[in-house]
Amino acid sequence: MSKKKIFWCKTCLNMSTRPRIEFNSKGSCNACLRTEEKKTIDWNKRNDELKLLLDKYRSKDGGFDCVVPCSGGKDGSHVAYNLKHKYGMNPLAVTIRPALSMELGDKNLYNFIHSGFNHIHVTPNPKVMQVLNKYGFIEKGFPYYGWLIAIHTAVIRTAYNFNVPLIFYGEDGEVEYGGSVENKDRAMYGIDYMKRVYLEGGYEKVLKKAVDDGILESSDLYFFNFPNDNEIKKKDLSFTHWSYFENWDPYTNYLTAKNNCGLQEKDDANSGTFTNFAQNDQALYSLHAYLMYLKFGFGRATQDAGIEIRREAMTRDQALNLVKIYDNMYPSEHIDDYLEYYQMSKEEFDVVIDKWVNKDLFVKEDGIWNPKFEVGQDFEI
Amino acid sequence: MKITIVDYGMGNIYSLQSALKFLGFDSICSNKSEDIINADKVILPGVGSFKIAMDNIIKLKIDKSIKIAVKEHNIPILGICLGMQLLGVSSTEDGFSNGLNLFEGEVTKFIDQSVKIPHVGFNNVNHPVNSTLFKGIKMNSDFYFVHSYKMTTNKTNGIGLTSNGENFVASFEQGNIFGTQFHPEKSQTNGLLLIKNFITF
Amino acid sequence: MRKKRLIYTLLYNKGHFMLSRNFRLQKVGDFKWLKKHYNFEKIAFSIDELIILDVTREGRDIDEFSSVVKEVVKNVFIPVACGGGIRSLNDAKLLLNSGADKIVVNTTLHSNKELINSLVKNYGSQFVVGSVDFQIENDVKKVYIENGELKIDENLEDFLDEVEKLSIGEIYLNSIQKDGTGQGYDIKHLANTFGKLTIPIILAGGAGNHLHLIEGLKINSVDAVATANLFNFLGDALPKARMEILKKELPLANFESISDVFK
Repeated sequence: MSKKKIFWCKTCLNMSTRPRIEFNSKGSCNACLRTEEKKTIDWNKRNDELKLLLDKYRSKDGGFDCVVPCSGGKDGSHVAYNLKHKYGMNPLAVTIRPALSMELGDKNLYNFIHSGFNHIHVTPNPKVMQVLNKYGFIEKGFPYYGWLIAIHTAVIRTAYNFNVPLIFYGEDGEVEYGGSVENKDRAMYGIDYMKRVYLEGGYEKVLKKAVDDGILESSDLYFFNFPNDNEIKKKDLSFTHWSYFENWDPYTNYLTAKNNCGLQEKDDANSGTFTNFAQNDQALYSLHAYLMYLKFGFGRATQDAGIEIRREAMTRDQALNLVKIYDNMYPSEHIDDYLEYYQMSKEEFDVVIDKWVNKDLFVKEDGIWNPKFEVGQDFEI
Repeated sequence: MKITIVDYGMGNIYSLQSALKFLGFDSICSNKSEDIINADKVILPGVGSFKIAMDNIIKLKIDKSIKIAVKEHNIPILGICLGMQLLGVSSTEDGFSNGLNLFEGEVTKFIDQSVKIPHVGFNNVNHPVNSTLFKGIKMNSDFYFVHSYKMTTNKTNGIGLTSNGENFVASFEQGNIFGTQFHPEKSQTNGLLLIKNFITF
Repeated sequence: MRKKRLIYTLLYNKGHFMLSRNFRLQKVGDFKWLKKHYNFEKIAFSIDELIILDVTREGRDIDEFSSVVKEVVKNVFIPVACGGGIRSLNDAKLLLNSGADKIVVNTTLHSNKELINSLVKNYGSQFVVGSVDFQIENDVKKVYIENGELKIDENLEDFLDEVEKLSIGEIYLNSIQKDGTGQGYDIKHLANTFGKLTIPIILAGGAGNHLHLIEGLKINSVDAVATANLFNFLGDALPKARMEILKKELPLANFESISDVFK
């Protein structure tokens, strides 16, 4: 049987197991290559493109001219703040309420709104979201799959209904962090990309199954369905990423949000990493990060370390020390909340976790999944 | 072995005792005459003003005990930093004061304006050959200095030198009288070796 | 020749060691965590000095702090400076008796100059390190005290002039803007400040990796660089950083590891 090689990027700590990742002949991943490439991009030109785009959509009658999906965290705040104060647009901020929202996240959202933004808080039926989240957890290893759908569909529905066609998402995570680079030179993208890449395909199947199984009715799914192609064309709905127009740096976003929108950090590090200023809005994120770790061998610390390495705040060696300490972290802080939310016993919950673990990478010892590998040391399975 | 660290109210005794302990030696902190004149080794630490130090020493009659210990009982004494300066003849810090006059060195302020004063940091010591203190330590090793006043001397034997714009005494060894301007208990491994050399002398 | 120094700064807050980002604190770990990830007994050879600051925002207890200091510096035979809330000669004495050979003062530089005079008189100039925090506002460097929370009505250069007149030993110059960012020291804004000081300068605020440390050490009038980045330098990162600095032939002292000599 042929052996498969598992290896780490030579410049950051992205793993070869990451979906859609690619490496060059020197062993650097496309996130690192993207970072180098961004040094040579003519950002002035991109800025001109942005201004052209904004001029096209800028409101002439005081109405909203762009929608910024946000959670109250650093990225959406940074985008909304710049659109309003640097470019004179009239953004409508839209938040899709997650399940199990956290106090700090609520506070940050409050501070963001009160720093001066028009805002819509959309709550897709929590019971429906719970069904889809649970389904996602069990069938796809995506504990907040319902919310993941809704931050696309419900945002777009809102934009559609408010007649605001231009929607600014933050970054193309695929391009920035080591996934597919198909959109790196494109300002605008389409719903097909969302379905195929962000939702990993099969999202329609999920909704259909829920209806076919009689758990949900089609009338429950308004906020979880995209508008159809005709509707999109009719209102000229346009989707873009801020990261196309600006050299995306999560740390810069954090500073913007902290200095201008009242962003507060957690007292100590988030689960599975060493940072405290990101993803503070919902409890399910830690579970999502942990499942990512068990599926692919890298967790949140690896991702944060990659960001630090690429913005040249630390070296790969320094990052290695941190990933070894922080990547493997069972989300014990919220485990009771998860069980109650999913209406599962600990045993049922563990069965699902165990299902998604990549057994080539991990071994269960004393009830805990431990890596078979040493971070940074290439191996074969 | 009875090691007495002279306690006259000034000096980072904690670090010194920790260093001795690490090397396997117990020590006591005292200003009592019997602890000084009956010790096997005496250490005179020091952080602060020469003038205030001498005032304290004289008030506590430590000057008499030290002179008896060193001159009559031939007990080895190590003066560290201000402690080394106190073993000298005099100092101009805060006016003029007399020292314990056990070593022919005078303490004056750094005058070279082109270097940073106080002299803080590690600096290399050109130590004498056949040195007791520096046995097993490489020539021009680095030790930790933190002072604004320096000692100079006409003596040439047993003198370790360093430089901060001008040359001055980094260490001296005269019979049973030893002194280091630097803090061996803060000078990493070499400092510990030096302390060990003194204790086992 | 006097060498330059690589200083590691620990930020202590009520039982925990902290990471600071623009003076906002993140709890990282307790003493057990510190011992595990910064075993100073073993890695002391990689730094020239340890600075331990009590940055507790509410309810400082200097007795508790001094006992923590004693634990941290146990069997660590290097220079140690301690500070944070020193309000009397007794406070200084307590820290001196816990392993410090220097103290660090910040707010006191502005609000209690008499105490500074007293400390210098009793312990000598070299005993007192003045910590100065600044932030750029409209191109002017403004000074902050009280853990960076209170702006005083002086710009940096004027304040440093006054501070030098107090005859303290060194200046610990810290950029609030760069603090914890890993973007490097604020050399751009300090270029003109460095040459004006006659006492040793410790540059702080913003270092994330060895390149930043090297950049700071290359400046002639900078005598030491400090980092308080608790995440970036754990494990073997400090020894590795020192090696890189020495490779660049910057004047740092040479030390042997204690475990190599005292087995």
